[in-house]
Amino acid sequence: MAVDYKDYYEVLGVPREASQDEIRRAYRKLAREYHPDLNPDSDDAEEHFKELGEAYEVLSDADKRERYDRLGAQWRARENAPGGGDFEDFFAGQGFDGDPRVEFGDGVFSEFFERLFGDGAAYRPSGPLRGRDHEALIELSLEDALAGGRRRLSLDGGRSVEVNIPAGVREGQRIRLAGQGGAGRDGGPAGDLYLLVQFKPHSRFRRQGDDLLVDVQVAPWEAALGATVPVPTLTGDAQVKIPAGSSSGRRLRLRGRGLPRRDGERGNLYAVVQITVPKHLSDEERELFEKLAAASQFDPRRPGS
Amino acid sequence: MTARRIRPRSARPSRRDDPVEQPIDLGVVARQAGLRVSLVRRYVAFGLFEPCAGTNQAPLFPVSSAARVAKAERLRRDLGLNYAGAVLVCELLDRIHELERRG
Repeated sequence: MAVDYKDYYEVLGVPREASQDEIRRAYRKLAREYHPDLNPDSDDAEEHFKELGEAYEVLSDADKRERYDRLGAQWRARENAPGGGDFEDFFAGQGFDGDPRVEFGDGVFSEFFERLFGDGAAYRPSGPLRGRDHEALIELSLEDALAGGRRRLSLDGGRSVEVNIPAGVREGQRIRLAGQGGAGRDGGPAGDLYLLVQFKPHSRFRRQGDDLLVDVQVAPWEAALGATVPVPTLTGDAQVKIPAGSSSGRRLRLRGRGLPRRDGERGNLYAVVQITVPKHLSDEERELFEKLAAASQFDPRRPGS
Repeated sequence: MTARRIRPRSARPSRRDDPVEQPIDLGVVARQAGLRVSLVRRYVAFGLFEPCAGTNQAPLFPVSSAARVAKAERLRRDLGLNYAGAVLVCELLDRIHELERRG
């Protein structure tokens, strides 16, 4: 495995001849800037902060710094030499060896650090501490949110967890997965992962608070004469009676077929009448519509008609 | 299905949509935070979080308290703050979050 050389001076933004004071100042300033708890919305703050901790760990310790400086000089010399530049060979040649998993903060120091300083070098006896809580978005279809059930979910870092989605979960609700957040330090418990529920837009249902709207297409004669038509709901089709004389936009209520409400009941589903006319008329249809047009006194643009 | 990570952050108390969770005593807060009870008690004395139920002799705290005290302690250790400073930072973070939520 290739191991990249890390320039700790660059990470802290200090010159190679920086004093211990300068190094401490630079670290403290950057630590405030990149601390993950101060940057909850930043994805790379955690990574950056870990790198800072590693750089400070090395440069703030006179022995480690000296060892690192020696290695850096040799490394640069090698890089410039023909055939040089393979850090793996370099480590082998130096007799650096070790396979430690060093814990610091929410994770481990880099491979580079471990190869250079070996087992336990980064151990800071600060005591156990719980890891950070994380929050992630979980997108559910309206149907899935209503029905609930178990879901396998893949998380950052290739982990996967089984999540129990409670039936009737509401948007904005948070599902807690205990111990699935950031790793603890020094054997402390892991943080929790909160899944923030968000609904996917639905191809047919529109949301209005806890109510749902769905368009239902009806023929002009169905709208005029009345009909019973199938209307989709979250749990399958329902039959809805279109009263005679229903114009476009009329809402027909299906009580309790909407989204779960806070009080445990459910909102309503409204079937919205959309009168649709045939694009092409057969000869007979045209004849009948013409007859209707001639016979009818109806003027939709006259108020009160 | 994947969960897109949006904003890792500590749990805040009393989010209204959360399912009702039973308040916990100080020992449980400490265990869940990975800290000693005496340290947690010190944070209570600094007003980092408050009892939400129970009695004076046996106060109970919101479930979110463990995450909160761990956050304060991480900030204290990582940034070289004292207790009052760590508590202040947590409160300012709450305030920032509240402003962002309103904005």
